[in-house]
Amino acid sequence: MSRVTRVLACAGLALSVGSTAVLAADDSKFALVPGGPHPYFSAWEQAGKDAARDFGLAAADYKVPQKWELSQQNQLLESLLSQGYNGFLIFPGDSVGTGSTAAELVANGAPVIAGAGCLQDPSDAAFCLGTDTGNSAYLGTKQLIGALGDSKRIVHFTGFLVDPNTQLRIDAVQRAADEAGAQVVQVIADIDAPEPAEEKINAYLAAHAGEVDGIITTAWVPAVVAANALRKIGDKRIKMVGIDHDEVVLQAIKDGFVTGTMLQNPYGQAYIGAFALDKLRSGCTVKQDAPLMANALTAKFIDSGTAFVGADGVDNYVDAMRAATKALFDTFEATYLTCQ
Amino acid sequence: MALPDSPASPATRQAKRPMARYFLTNEFGLAALIVLFAVLFGVTAQGFLSPFNLFALGRTASINIMIGLAMMVVIVTGGLNLALGAIGVCAAIFCGFLIQDAGLAWPLAIVLALALGAALGSINGWITVRSGLHSFIITLATMSIFFGAMIFLTRAQSYRGLPPELTSFGRIKIVEIVSPLLVVTVVVALLLAYLYRLTALGREMLAAGAKAEAAELSGVRVGRVFIICHMLSGAIAAVAALMLTARNGAAIPSMAGQLGQDWLLPAFLAPVLGGTLLTGGRVSVLGTCLGAFLVTMLTSGLLLMQIGEFWIQSFLGLLLLAAVLIDKSRRMLLDRSKLS
Repeated sequence: MSRVTRVLACAGLALSVGSTAVLAADDSKFALVPGGPHPYFSAWEQAGKDAARDFGLAAADYKVPQKWELSQQNQLLESLLSQGYNGFLIFPGDSVGTGSTAAELVANGAPVIAGAGCLQDPSDAAFCLGTDTGNSAYLGTKQLIGALGDSKRIVHFTGFLVDPNTQLRIDAVQRAADEAGAQVVQVIADIDAPEPAEEKINAYLAAHAGEVDGIITTAWVPAVVAANALRKIGDKRIKMVGIDHDEVVLQAIKDGFVTGTMLQNPYGQAYIGAFALDKLRSGCTVKQDAPLMANALTAKFIDSGTAFVGADGVDNYVDAMRAATKALFDTFEATYLTCQ
Repeated sequence: MALPDSPASPATRQAKRPMARYFLTNEFGLAALIVLFAVLFGVTAQGFLSPFNLFALGRTASINIMIGLAMMVVIVTGGLNLALGAIGVCAAIFCGFLIQDAGLAWPLAIVLALALGAALGSINGWITVRSGLHSFIITLATMSIFFGAMIFLTRAQSYRGLPPELTSFGRIKIVEIVSPLLVVTVVVALLLAYLYRLTALGREMLAAGAKAEAAELSGVRVGRVFIICHMLSGAIAAVAALMLTARNGAAIPSMAGQLGQDWLLPAFLAPVLGGTLLTGGRVSVLGTCLGAFLVTMLTSGLLLMQIGEFWIQSFLGLLLLAAVLIDKSRRMLLDRSKLS
């Protein structure tokens, strides 16, 4: 090796070592990866574009596994790391099973934040930014019970049993019902997909509509299907509180078939998640005394916000989500991060 | 001296035929495709040849190959095992339970988990033989029974209190790019090749699958052989699930998706691409390994080329269709060469 080459090599090495301490924002290339295709996460795409523009990132791309399979998500994450992505906001395909992949990503220098759903502790995710699912289900059930008359028989439509959040939701609905003297007559789970939701909800209402007074749904697809079913039945006696902001549910609220919905904040999760990833790559760390909350999965939880929207607020639901995002973003760095 | 345009002598034709037949085999076709796509991806897909991607590719392929082998050993009989995902998950969860809750040593827990996989497989075989129904129907039913029982007993809880000897096995790198899981797969494949080529039991399996009545007349206890094939399938499915447990660092109910259905596509693709006859009686262990590896490599390469995650599934479907058509052409060519 010639002397000039050696000098250049040493200079390059020195530069690279120096640059790893504090990385520039413009080489930050983040991937926002849900567990699979689902309408809930569609807001992540725009949030990623907005975050890339606002924070000067090289990219904050929304990357969807082709199917809702843990192995597909793991393979996509491994591929994205190989492609040079260096920060990840991940909705865990499984709260435990995604942990080892997250550990590998972090070991390769890419910070990980769990978004919309948490990894079970201990994990290498910096924190979990999502909806407090149990609390959301509890508050939604309270709203439903408030809308019911003397008879309080509730049916609960919810998501996949393999998702630990489902059990949290089932428990929270039961707790709210017990507190108010209501009866959960049936829990129908494993229906957060169009086909099983259509089949089971329509069959249940066809046979038992007269035996229930209220419906609580704690997953996106069942909320849509149940709202449609109530519209078809045309009987506004049965009250319903849904979840999320699908147009079908919002229109059903406007038309009086659905009492209201529990909003989550997917846009804020992705926008603030990308911001936080950039800060973590730039050398920031999560504060030792950050006011992180605990839920059933993690002690590193940050609530991205949840709100009930009824007929009086349905036209301005976007404002409610924006307000929740702004409130969290304005204080996020000062509250949760320590930056040099 | 032969004339330039004279036909080759019979001896020369005999010498050339095995070579021609070799070029027409599935194994050669798959090997050629693997080399072709490896070169293509190596040149065009950024990161394909990176050590991490090669390691991840080998690790994923090892599990897919094992899943393919689990199906292959039943296809030999002309049957199917749709329950192999459910059996695998049951075995993995049982292993987690034995280690975490029952406090057993991990080697003993693994042996018992493999025994459970074999036992569940033998139940499939026994019902199939006793009922005379096609294993498609039987395993479709047991898929729900096994998975449902597991979810009921565990309440969809994961087991992550596994010893580091087990969990680190999925992350260790041999010379930077080789996963030890790949070594396990190679060993199992070699054992299967030995079984079919060099043991009486293996030949009985092939004979029973090709023509059960003829095998019965030849003294083969066909029912017993079919049960052993299903038992073997269950045990190999358990091995695949334990490998996945090592890769995920935990035994999780969702590792093979709802009812274990996520395993079905790789389970069918690998043996069919590899040249195992769906009607039974012919098996190709090498072909199954190459088929699974090709599918895994294509998925990896296409992901890296960012052609769109949703196109990959279509591409794999097209590949399966192409493989079936090519196989038909190959057999026609072979038939013609026999006639000529």
